[in-house]
Amino acid sequence: MATETDTTNIDARRLVHRLPDDVLLHGGIVFSILLMASPLLLAVIMSTQSTTEVYQVTNLGLGSKGLSNYSDALVNYDFSTYMLNSFVMSVIVVVGKVTLSLFAALALVYYRFPYERAVFMFILLTLLLPVPVRIVPLFQLMADLGWTNSLLALTGPYVASATAVFLFRQQFMGISASLVEVARLDGVGPLTFLFRVLIPMSRGMIAGVCVITFIYTWNQFLWPLVVVTDKSSQVVQVGIRYLQGSAQAGLTQWGLIMAGAVLALLPPLVVLIVLHRPLLRTLTIQQK
Amino acid sequence: MSTATKPYDSTLQAALLLLPTAAVLVAFLYYPALETFRLSLYETLFLGQRQTWTGLGNFVSLLTSDVYRYSFLITVAFAAVVVFGTLGVSLLIGYLIFSVDVRSSVYLVAAIWPYALPPAVAAILLNFILHPNLGIFTHYLELLTPFTLDWFNDGPQAFAILAVVAVWKQLGYNIIFIVAALNNIPEILTENARIDGVGRFRMLYKVYVPMIAPTMTFLVIMNTIYAFFSTFPLVDLMTSGGPSDATNFLIFKLYRDAFQFNSLGLASAQSVILFVVVSILMYLQLRFASGYGRYGG
Repeated sequence: MATETDTTNIDARRLVHRLPDDVLLHGGIVFSILLMASPLLLAVIMSTQSTTEVYQVTNLGLGSKGLSNYSDALVNYDFSTYMLNSFVMSVIVVVGKVTLSLFAALALVYYRFPYERAVFMFILLTLLLPVPVRIVPLFQLMADLGWTNSLLALTGPYVASATAVFLFRQQFMGISASLVEVARLDGVGPLTFLFRVLIPMSRGMIAGVCVITFIYTWNQFLWPLVVVTDKSSQVVQVGIRYLQGSAQAGLTQWGLIMAGAVLALLPPLVVLIVLHRPLLRTLTIQQK
Repeated sequence: MSTATKPYDSTLQAALLLLPTAAVLVAFLYYPALETFRLSLYETLFLGQRQTWTGLGNFVSLLTSDVYRYSFLITVAFAAVVVFGTLGVSLLIGYLIFSVDVRSSVYLVAAIWPYALPPAVAAILLNFILHPNLGIFTHYLELLTPFTLDWFNDGPQAFAILAVVAVWKQLGYNIIFIVAALNNIPEILTENARIDGVGRFRMLYKVYVPMIAPTMTFLVIMNTIYAFFSTFPLVDLMTSGGPSDATNFLIFKLYRDAFQFNSLGLASAQSVILFVVVSILMYLQLRFASGYGRYGG
């Protein structure tokens, strides 16, 4: 009897508390999300304004320029070239890194060979060598190879990665042993095994690695700044720097700069939104 | 993995499969890294054309240089502000998202999108919104509070503004891991505390945070690495290290010494110091943040 009243009491209390609590929760989330997105929303608005409109600081209406700041950035400030370069660079790194890492993981998980552990450590230890640790000799190497100002310099150092090998290795190790046994008994060759069994079973992980790599590569700034000096080979992140420099004669054309920034953000943002599921799954595995 | 489940044993084939990865890692990671160590022992003159052995001379001049010591100090301070700022805000937002029982991922995607935000874009957007004369945020801040934004001339303000940009950009990454970790806590472990009528935010700090401690440790380390290595575009586009070195962080100083002043030996010595930093962080990560994975997400 006593327990029954207790539970009804709790239920009643919950009912009373429930509604305002939920409203508060949702309100809190919507508020934080809007706050986080506000610089972007403001940038989108300002990117439609003329310089005069931008200089009336509190003018928050859509501007008179429409999309012409965007076409101006793309056509007159070379953003179409920069965007294309960024895109080609990112796709090459994604394809190269995924291919190389799948091969390496295949060897690590399904082959018996001497010094397996040492080879794996050799790959993993490169986590200690981010670009700033080797930037001076790496730049000299690119100069010696004649690779500066080229896609080779932008992509070459990025096509192998400890993280991707590690993730594919984890993924392969999770594939059931009985399936591997069947493949072994049937005498399936390693490449057939990779393309017919492993890759189809690892689609989510591969998609995740592709998203992480695409976003990471697209967002590179320091290395392209150092290794590319020829504007026609430059990527869009450094293009923002050029735009900032050239738009500063007289009144700074902030509408134009905002349009360039929005363009430079769009591809990784779209990739994140479309492929957030495999991204989330893959990232949280990486941590283990 | 037992050898029984390894169906192939051709060492040659394994070597061929590993070759492309190994070749790239040797050519573009190990070789330049070793070269960095070698170069750090030389003084380079005439735009890098001539090298003279100086032993630990570069390290001595760095460690006795007021500019470098100051740069090191403010980088550590910046990392601390960015790490704890990011974790605090992400924890709050992540917990709110975890608390609503909506399984739709709309909220989550709307909260994690800064993961895709290029640091250069983050810098240029906030450069405008927080601009001392033109920024709309600046306008209302100065209208509603006695505060004046003058970060083009005021060092501490420039430092704070860069921290805000760095935190903003890093929120997405942190929220991803925090929400995943919270969702991994078995419900039965939190039920008892919930019936006691403990307030929502007391629950967060007393119950949830201790349970996701491994994830928090992981994020502390990842955010530190981020603050040290990935904030170059922010400095480059917003402050150029100024005013009066207030934002001359290690990575920016390294870039300038290497590519504007051509002090390749000195810059390499700075790279070596950064290598020590990243090694310590990775060691701490292995020691404290991995090998769990039960509630770690």
